Amino acid sequence: MEREIRIEPVTRVEGHGKITLHLDKKGGVRDARFHVTELRGFEEFCVGRTVWEMPALTARICGICPVSHILASARAGDAILAVRVPDAAHLLRRLMNLGQLVQSHALSFFYLSAPDLFLGWASDPAKRNVLGLAEARGDLTRKGIRLRAFGQETIERLGGKRIHPAWAVPGGVSRPLGRADRDWIASQVPEALDTIRTTLRLFKETFATAEECTVLGDFPSLYVGLVTDDGAWEHYGGVLRVVDAKGKPLVDGLDPARYEDVIGEAAEPWSYLKFPFYRPLGYPKGMYRVGPLGRLNVCDRFGTPEADAELEEFRARGSGRSGRVFDYHYARLIEILASLEQMKTVLEDERLLAPRVRAEAGINAEVGVGVHEAPRGTLIHHYWVDPNGVVTAANLIVSTGHNNLAMNRSILEIARRTIKDGAFDEGILNRIEGGIRAFDPCLSCSVHALGRLPLEVEVVGPEGAVVQTLVRD
Amino acid sequence: MDLVIGIGNPLRQDDGIGPRVVEALPVFPSAEACVVCELVPELTLRLRGARRVLFVDAEAGGAETQLGRVTGRESGWGHTLGPEGLLELAARAFGSAPDAWVLSVPGVNFGYGEGLSDRAEGFVPQAVERASRWLSEGQVSADGA
Repeated sequence: MEREIRIEPVTRVEGHGKITLHLDKKGGVRDARFHVTELRGFEEFCVGRTVWEMPALTARICGICPVSHILASARAGDAILAVRVPDAAHLLRRLMNLGQLVQSHALSFFYLSAPDLFLGWASDPAKRNVLGLAEARGDLTRKGIRLRAFGQETIERLGGKRIHPAWAVPGGVSRPLGRADRDWIASQVPEALDTIRTTLRLFKETFATAEECTVLGDFPSLYVGLVTDDGAWEHYGGVLRVVDAKGKPLVDGLDPARYEDVIGEAAEPWSYLKFPFYRPLGYPKGMYRVGPLGRLNVCDRFGTPEADAELEEFRARGSGRSGRVFDYHYARLIEILASLEQMKTVLEDERLLAPRVRAEAGINAEVGVGVHEAPRGTLIHHYWVDPNGVVTAANLIVSTGHNNLAMNRSILEIARRTIKDGAFDEGILNRIEGGIRAFDPCLSCSVHALGRLPLEVEVVGPEGAVVQTLVRD
Repeated sequence: MDLVIGIGNPLRQDDGIGPRVVEALPVFPSAEACVVCELVPELTLRLRGARRVLFVDAEAGGAETQLGRVTGRESGWGHTLGPEGLLELAARAFGSAPDAWVLSVPGVNFGYGEGLSDRAEGFVPQAVERASRWLSEGQVSADGA
């Protein structure tokens, strides 16, 4: 008898989704699907608005990563104005994105995933949350809270507020940074570095060899991300690189505005999330991954001493490029370290305090593409405008979308390894959810419960009758 | 130091009543105020320095403003963190949490849009007065101590 297991909602991710596991007659896993069950429709909202409004408008896509959309949108606007953005503005945007990487990665690791890692995948779901973590690991929780607060405060000092700062604009940013704010941010970096060094050490001692991290969700794929012209890790600007599962470049030095040369988009009737794929291999063979693991796998080096040492160790542990989905956590921590090191460099650049931070111009191009690295991966904003700068069409490829094929593959791999003869329990289902959580998908900024939400799993027979139900509350 | 936290999203009509009340409060010595769309773990850092905290939040329905002490604690945690959960997180992560009260202000419209409904607007003066009195009582208590 064929059966279907449904995990709905998927918890501790941003947005609404569900997982269905389709079992064959012998109780093995035949297929697994991650369904994104909400529709936002921002590509349509953008039409009819001016290019100058786009950063503030698209920031509203999300409450966790508005900075990412503001920056990608501003870069698309830069291309439409065809101006030379002042150096100070580039440095300020770079600094804000580094703050964004720190705060978003800290949220993902300490608030959403650390409960699984430190309390146990099969521990009491009622306590498997940040409160349970605070009870068991108070010091780690304090450090995580302070680290995220630092990233958020950096964004606020630059943009005026932590969420939806209408700050980056086509041509630059709306206001310069004051010396006092620059000095405050710089004063906090040492503590943040201490936190991430401690956390990385703890992670490597405890989890880098754990079964969940080394066995579950290990599969080959391509990787996509930005790198500098000479191949170093990049998050703002740079060129697109695509590598195979062993790190061999398939595409290198590609102008990000030409992303359509290598990325196609498919759709499936069972999910609102698009399925981007590597065009030369077609759909669905052209599966690739972006985000922390993708960026670590495409780059040659970070270009900062501590992160480069961690990258070397990361690759030594994984025998080269890692295909393990739970290494997203490891990669995320290394990226926090790299971001903090790069913040130090940016903060020491006196051009950061220059008063001229915006170049103004009219419409000089009909099309603009903005590409940069959001915490969850490569983010693309592509606008077409009329001579007055009114948007006539928009294409947004969000970071989570790039990973759609890989997220589906991830839960299939984990389910096949953990579900035998049709038997499963809550701990197994949490490991499967964890395969999604590792990507830190941002499905929207919608509110949904976490930890306490009932998780209902139904096993449905071939005639549609529910033959088994598991409820987590 | 006493801390007043106005909770709510001003783009969801009456949900914005918490921030509206907090922004209308007079300045009190030894008191701080902030407004947030929702409670987040980082607020535990502000709670650490507070002797007392007052959460001002909208309440769907309701007939009048209600001021009550927070006595319970939340042992679970959701994407929407409540005062009880935030206080428990502060206690677990930092070893203590301030005495806390919630001022609930009735609201009726929580759809998209700016501005309060007439009914919610009518409760603002009363809510400001109750929050001010709470702050004044704390001032007397702190001075006496």
